Amino acid sequence: MLDLSNSKKTGMACLFIYMLSPFALHADFKPTKPIECVVHTGPGGGSDVLARFIAQTVEKENLSPVRFQINNKTGGSGVTAMTYMAEKKGDTHTIAVFTGNWLITPLTRSETKVSVKDMTPIARLVLEPALIAVKSDAPYKTLKDFIEAAKKSPGMLKQSGGSSTSRDNVVRQLLMKSTGSNWTFISFPGGGERISALLGGHVNVMVIEPQEAGEHIRAGSLRVIAQIAEKRLPGFSNIPTLKEAGFNIPNVPQVRGIVMSSGIPVDVISYYENLFYRLSKTATWRKYLEDQQFEDGYQKSAELSYFIDGYTDQMREILKEAGAKVIR
Amino acid sequence: MEILSGLFNGFSIALQPLNLLWCFAGVFLGTVVGIMPGLGPAATIAMLLPLTFGMPPTSGLIMLAGIYYGAKYGGSTTAILLNVPGESASVVTCLDGYQMARNGRAGAALGIAAISSFVAGTVGVLGLMLLAPPLAKIALSFSSPEYFALMILGLAMVVLLAGDSMIKALLAMLFGLWIASMGIDLFTDASRFTFGSAELLDGIDFVVVAIGIFALGEVFANMEMQGGASLLPVPKGMRELLPTMAELKACRFAFFNGSVVGFIIGVLPGAGSTIASFISYGLEKAVSKHPEKFGTGVPEGVAAPEGANNSETGGALVPLLTLGIPGSGTTAILLAAFVLWGLRPGPLMIQDNPELFWGLVASMYVGNVMLLILNLPLIPLFAQILKLREYILYPIIFGISIVGIYTSSSSFFDCWMLSLFGLLGYLMRRLDYPTAPLILGLVLGDSMERALRQSLMMSQGDLSILYHRPIAATLLFISLLLVCLPLFRNFNQWRIRAIEDNG
Amino acid sequence: MLSNKRSMLINGNFISGLVLAALGSYIFTQALNWDYMTIEGPGPGFFPYWYGLAMVFLSLLLVASAILEARTSENPKTVNWSEVGRALSAWLLFSLSVFLMKYLGFLIVLSALTWFVIKFMYQQNQKIAITTAVGISVGFYFIFAYALQLNLPVGPLGL
Repeated sequence: MLDLSNSKKTGMACLFIYMLSPFALHADFKPTKPIECVVHTGPGGGSDVLARFIAQTVEKENLSPVRFQINNKTGGSGVTAMTYMAEKKGDTHTIAVFTGNWLITPLTRSETKVSVKDMTPIARLVLEPALIAVKSDAPYKTLKDFIEAAKKSPGMLKQSGGSSTSRDNVVRQLLMKSTGSNWTFISFPGGGERISALLGGHVNVMVIEPQEAGEHIRAGSLRVIAQIAEKRLPGFSNIPTLKEAGFNIPNVPQVRGIVMSSGIPVDVISYYENLFYRLSKTATWRKYLEDQQFEDGYQKSAELSYFIDGYTDQMREILKEAGAKVIR
Repeated sequence: MEILSGLFNGFSIALQPLNLLWCFAGVFLGTVVGIMPGLGPAATIAMLLPLTFGMPPTSGLIMLAGIYYGAKYGGSTTAILLNVPGESASVVTCLDGYQMARNGRAGAALGIAAISSFVAGTVGVLGLMLLAPPLAKIALSFSSPEYFALMILGLAMVVLLAGDSMIKALLAMLFGLWIASMGIDLFTDASRFTFGSAELLDGIDFVVVAIGIFALGEVFANMEMQGGASLLPVPKGMRELLPTMAELKACRFAFFNGSVVGFIIGVLPGAGSTIASFISYGLEKAVSKHPEKFGTGVPEGVAAPEGANNSETGGALVPLLTLGIPGSGTTAILLAAFVLWGLRPGPLMIQDNPELFWGLVASMYVGNVMLLILNLPLIPLFAQILKLREYILYPIIFGISIVGIYTSSSSFFDCWMLSLFGLLGYLMRRLDYPTAPLILGLVLGDSMERALRQSLMMSQGDLSILYHRPIAATLLFISLLLVCLPLFRNFNQWRIRAIEDNG
Repeated sequence: MLSNKRSMLINGNFISGLVLAALGSYIFTQALNWDYMTIEGPGPGFFPYWYGLAMVFLSLLLVASAILEARTSENPKTVNWSEVGRALSAWLLFSLSVFLMKYLGFLIVLSALTWFVIKFMYQQNQKIAITTAVGISVGFYFIFAYALQLNLPVGPLGL
């Protein structure tokens, strides 16, 4: 017999098991208890609504033998949810809805001990474009008008938005830098307050999501002057995108998708990948995307992993240029 | 005319047997949710959303809204009986409600809370029905400078809640302001006072502080003495269990006060029912003939805040239904419900779905009546809780406090904070620091700082934005009046004494 | 009794004033680390700067008034430490319960806490202590865990 050292024996054993693994791959994983879906917003927040719709669609279209249960883990712009997920190593029945926030927060916040790098990407689901809107009686018909006005009175015009690392401000920083203009950013914690500020005439412009703006546009109180998207949204076919309007800045999508904790076996990953693939192809989902004006951003696990790395690097650069304190 | 026909239409929807059933289910659940600390209407509505997918949206909204305003009825129960605020807005009810219970008037307090909630809740619906569109426009003219003035008005309440030592009241308030500033700064993303802990990134939850300081602090203080002295006198017989005519008469202004203040503040997105309760309470004390009695168990001290937090729900529905703008966590989930039902919330929603609006309004009238009928007979039952001996009651309070905190956040860290604030509550009682200003500082601190910074950003540093605008100026003026009121009173008394001395 | 309370207040005012002054100074110094004013408006350091300062000022006032009062009052009596002791031990018990809850679960710890409080703090007999402890736990289980389906901390026995 060959006299193998211990490590070589282990190696042979692993090889043997690996060769058996196709059988493991074919032994399909099926969930046996309700799937816990973690979101980092409270009830009614963006990820929460998406998760609930996913749960609803999965049940309606019979995509899974078990149902989905939403678990709200709010706190710290995603930190609480991420920490919770990091503790669920190897848990095959817990998934989480991640957003761009999850990728950005660890870059600037020293209190975060975990990041999406410690998790397993499963699928990217949607890209949420945005619109740049002004009050309908404002003198700006296009984004160029607004930028010109901003150049004339630097710092006087105002934009309402979320926190300083939110997409709203990132877009603003990019625009200001590429056009050499300057206007103030005022943070409001809730979407309702931001829209009120715009409708009440207290600020001049806002980056708004299509589904938030839709009704106000229909009622005639808001006007859209540009879209932040790769290509024009079906509901706004006569509004130019940033690139079309001549503003050469990278497209910053709001992204949402699914991740799981670390230590998940390959077959489980394929199961969920497949589940969400089938979800993204259902008519219910397609209608939802159309109603909400989302872009179908489905990506499989491997592609998502690549996207996450790219997005994180891009954000790091943008934040540094915007003057935020980047620590990772 | 349009309103009458709309209302008629609404009642024909709301009084359908199935909708009546959903309404009852909603308000009943709401009351239960309100009673249990930690379980809030937002989370409950979220849990029940899937149930509503088979129903027509109007029925679903009738039920979910029932949970929303029903919870405001329940919140006063544990506040009055156990000094445990069931809902964050019930904190103010603890101040006089619990004292009324200690004086043997628990039943009366519960009754006044229910009646005031009914009156104010109905006024809130009236306001929603009659004033919604014009109010929405006015609400839009409210922005950061006006919010700042409103917060200053709230802080001026400290003066009224001070009690004996103004210095201690101010110190308590400053402590509350400090706790409020813990967490991530919205504008610059800096972390303040988080001591490197991820759990503190969001600051300390208000409910944790309130339950710790009010409920636990009280229990620890009572445990100093062993037996006998702290047994609460339980009223016997029906007459003792309900408010007397005199008590109801004393609350006349409070009913009006609570209804109006609550509704107006509810309309403003971002200003919540806790602020409404505090301002209503403060206003009541300011115009009272016996302000020094507030805090010892006066019925108006229960009627005003309880009314305010109920009519606030009517107000909060105004921006939601007329503009599609959610003003609080609960209205945000209602907004999500609209979206999930396929509706399009926004300025045109009422126009496109009139039966939704009128059905809801009519069902709220019905719901408020149901709640009154539901709550009044329960009063004798609840008052019996006070018959329990203290050594049974106190562990129950311990248990409820922990359950309340743990179920809403599943965090042991929050339980530790609860314990810490329990100790603080005890020490404050021992050292004669008033607790209400701390809570006030905590509630207002964040909003006030944000409003100030937003205002100055809007005006590029020009301070005059804070007092030039009419609404802001009016609110600041009222605050000034309130602060000077005690001085006027003292001056008056000094004057009278001077005259008596000379004469 | 009255002078007991007064003397404790006087000592209490003194000590709490000092503690708050220390806290105020901490807040103030922390505030100096952050931006007081940025181009866009008041920074994160603005508010803490002012209320930290106010806290220091007011608490020193309190300390001063405590000293003055101590000088002008009669012989200060001792504080009723046994009362304070009872309350503080109740708090320690509660904190211990929170600690143990992670390992032993909510229901067990609640029963133990109830039993302790009744037996030792209120000196009732064993029968009352045990029945109440069990009764309360059962009641909590039924109302919260079973009927309302809430999550309670669970220990090794699943309780």
